[in-house]
Amino acid sequence: MYLQAQEGLMSTYRQGWRRRDVFAWILAIGFLSFYLTLYYTDFFTPFAVALGLRNKWYLYGAIYSLVMIGGGAYYLKHHGSSRYNRVRITVNVAVQVLLAFTLPFVMTMLGEKEHYFSYLWPLKIEYMYPQTLATLPVYMVAYSIAASFVVMPILTIRYGKRWYCSWICGCGALANTLGDPWRHLADKSDRAWSVEKVTVHTVMVLAVVTTALVAWNWRWGGSMPALSAFVFKLQEVYGFVVGAILAGIVGVAVYPVLGARIWCRYFCPMAAMLGLIQKLGRFRVAVKPDMCISCGNCSTYCEMGIDVRAYAQNNQSFTRASCVGCGMCAHVCPRGVLKLDNGGAASAKRPGRLPIVD
Amino acid sequence: MAVRAVIVGNGVAGIEAARTLQSARPDAQISIVSEESDHFFSRTALMYVLSGQMRYRDIEPHSRALYSELGVERVRKRALGIEGRTLLLEGAPALPFDVLLLACGSSPRPPPWPGSGLRGIGHFVTLQDLEWLEGEVHGRSGADRPPRAELLSRDPGSPYRARPRGAGKALAPIVIGGGLIGIEVIETLLAAKRKPRFVIKDRWFWPVALDARESGWVAEALRAHGVEVDLGVEVERFVDDGTGAVGRAVIGGKEVPCDLAVVAIGVVPNVAWLGPSGPRIAGGGIAVDTGLETSIQGVFAAGDCASVPSADGGEPRPEQLWYTARDQGRIAGKRMAGLAATYARGTWYNSAKLMDIEYTTVGHVPPSHRPSEGLTDVFHEEKGRVRSTTRLVLENDRVVGFNALGRRWDHSVIAEWIEAKKDLGFVRANLRKAAFDTELVPPLEW
Repeated sequence: MYLQAQEGLMSTYRQGWRRRDVFAWILAIGFLSFYLTLYYTDFFTPFAVALGLRNKWYLYGAIYSLVMIGGGAYYLKHHGSSRYNRVRITVNVAVQVLLAFTLPFVMTMLGEKEHYFSYLWPLKIEYMYPQTLATLPVYMVAYSIAASFVVMPILTIRYGKRWYCSWICGCGALANTLGDPWRHLADKSDRAWSVEKVTVHTVMVLAVVTTALVAWNWRWGGSMPALSAFVFKLQEVYGFVVGAILAGIVGVAVYPVLGARIWCRYFCPMAAMLGLIQKLGRFRVAVKPDMCISCGNCSTYCEMGIDVRAYAQNNQSFTRASCVGCGMCAHVCPRGVLKLDNGGAASAKRPGRLPIVD
Repeated sequence: MAVRAVIVGNGVAGIEAARTLQSARPDAQISIVSEESDHFFSRTALMYVLSGQMRYRDIEPHSRALYSELGVERVRKRALGIEGRTLLLEGAPALPFDVLLLACGSSPRPPPWPGSGLRGIGHFVTLQDLEWLEGEVHGRSGADRPPRAELLSRDPGSPYRARPRGAGKALAPIVIGGGLIGIEVIETLLAAKRKPRFVIKDRWFWPVALDARESGWVAEALRAHGVEVDLGVEVERFVDDGTGAVGRAVIGGKEVPCDLAVVAIGVVPNVAWLGPSGPRIAGGGIAVDTGLETSIQGVFAAGDCASVPSADGGEPRPEQLWYTARDQGRIAGKRMAGLAATYARGTWYNSAKLMDIEYTTVGHVPPSHRPSEGLTDVFHEEKGRVRSTTRLVLENDRVVGFNALGRRWDHSVIAEWIEAKKDLGFVRANLRKAAFDTELVPPLEW
């Protein structure tokens, strides 16, 4: 029994650590220090070895799994009155614990090369590098190509990007578990939306260009050493800036001060690509006409910074490229105005029933 | 020459009127007079600021640049009356107008009981009430509050007056009045980890909207959260704690501790300030015709303060809903722009959330505590994976009303059926088409 569906949100702004007080900043610095230590030192290696986890990355995988299970319990406690929320977070955490930690660990135990089935190109850009593909067994090459170029567009057309961003992806899973207490901190301003459109699509283009150049280099690089050197550099810089700094370190460290989906919203090349497909597909946030009271719960709790209320109070169903379909806007609406659906015709503005006789 | 329009009230009716007027007549000179706030906010969302679910800025539906974008001048003054073609203001020169809109809302109904003037007794309707209750429950600490600079009036009779800040204790809070504001205050007190007492004079909560079966579920949810629900009892008086603040309350012959009392026994249209020279009053509000014009030519009224002609030819009365205020504001905006427009409220609808229970109503659902004029109903209760109730009100075999708890419904679909005079068989067979539950919720089996 809950106070309102949003009982879990009722004290958000009464908790200092959820509204950028000193403790929130300390937490952010703590997260940052943890990631810097993990990425650039061997501090964690002895602990990993002592626990029989072979190297620091498996230790991180174990911590990551435990944090997600704990954060998933937090999510269920706060938002579990919605069946969509319950099913979604359970699937997402289970996928991560199984495919991003357990399975790779078991694969290496069996002498296989580890493979993260839950990550796809372009999020994991090296999965389309020819040199990576060349080392993989045929079934994994087939899996990577089919997942990125067949399954991804089909599912996104049908269900929107949420099938990946909110049901499978590890960045999404961490954001909705460890990061969930800070979802309301996403910037809702028009300026943030403008910035987001530029940054996220820039990274997407960079990911495609980098992949193409790396492939070219692998096949023909020998003939043009100068360009080849540039491609090596590009590959390295992309890996460092996008893969390590943005996705890993910054993406998580800023949770307590900027909200949990900073990476997904501003930088993820996969999210950008899925977002473009989503705009062409059937997924939308449907708005029931005339029932909005402009309270602002939907906008406040949108983790992608979408001003949902602006559409709702205008009777306008909509599809935004950034929407990851977490379902929270529909969940927190006290008048049941919003509903995620796969019914298409996103742009339809439903006429209000205002009885004006001119 | 550009039309000079003055709008009294910065709520949804006033803002929608200003937006409509400005888009129809971009050259109109519009002034919005408000005693309450500098910016339009969603009054129905005040509870979320008090609970800490949102900041005050979050319940402002538009950017603060709205006024400058519309070219609207804001006047933070108290309106004192109409004199000729001017609006009298407190402490400022009168404002001349060609057209005037009265969208001045309503005030909480004052408590009639002895001791009601003690500190610690108030309402939860205005921005200033939020400020007061915030102090009573949370003291100085807590979530973002509206900046005190926004508070204006010190007039003891004004619902927008600033009040002394409370001690932040509220250890024995009482909420009086079994309606939506009452239950919202209860929820915010529960979120603040208090165990409030809910005093309702009727035999069950919100009888004007819910019948005994439906309301019983709400009472069950309240009690499960530790709320003391007192049904069918009246407050008799409040007792001073010796410092001028309330210390105890006598309720139904019983004396109980009480250091905070929130009185939510309805609202009354803000019409007293208009005086005898103002427009005609009827049914407690400002009487308007179907074009929302008052008895004074060029003076319109919309929202909580306006008594609109009843659809069934009965007494004009105020329709005090967010939706009707919004729609009336848009009609009034057209009228002020010199366009023809008629307000004829369509099929009634409303929704709410009572604790965690969704509520939707459409069409004619007679108040359950009064005899209903030859109507019958069919009632279905679901207690499986989803708990819900669905009630269809019938006139002979025709569905005229719909009342549901526990699930979400698209009222617009049901309204179309009611308008098309669909019968019980049709509505039962097609009910799923009106479902608006979130995804993965199993559909209603009936």
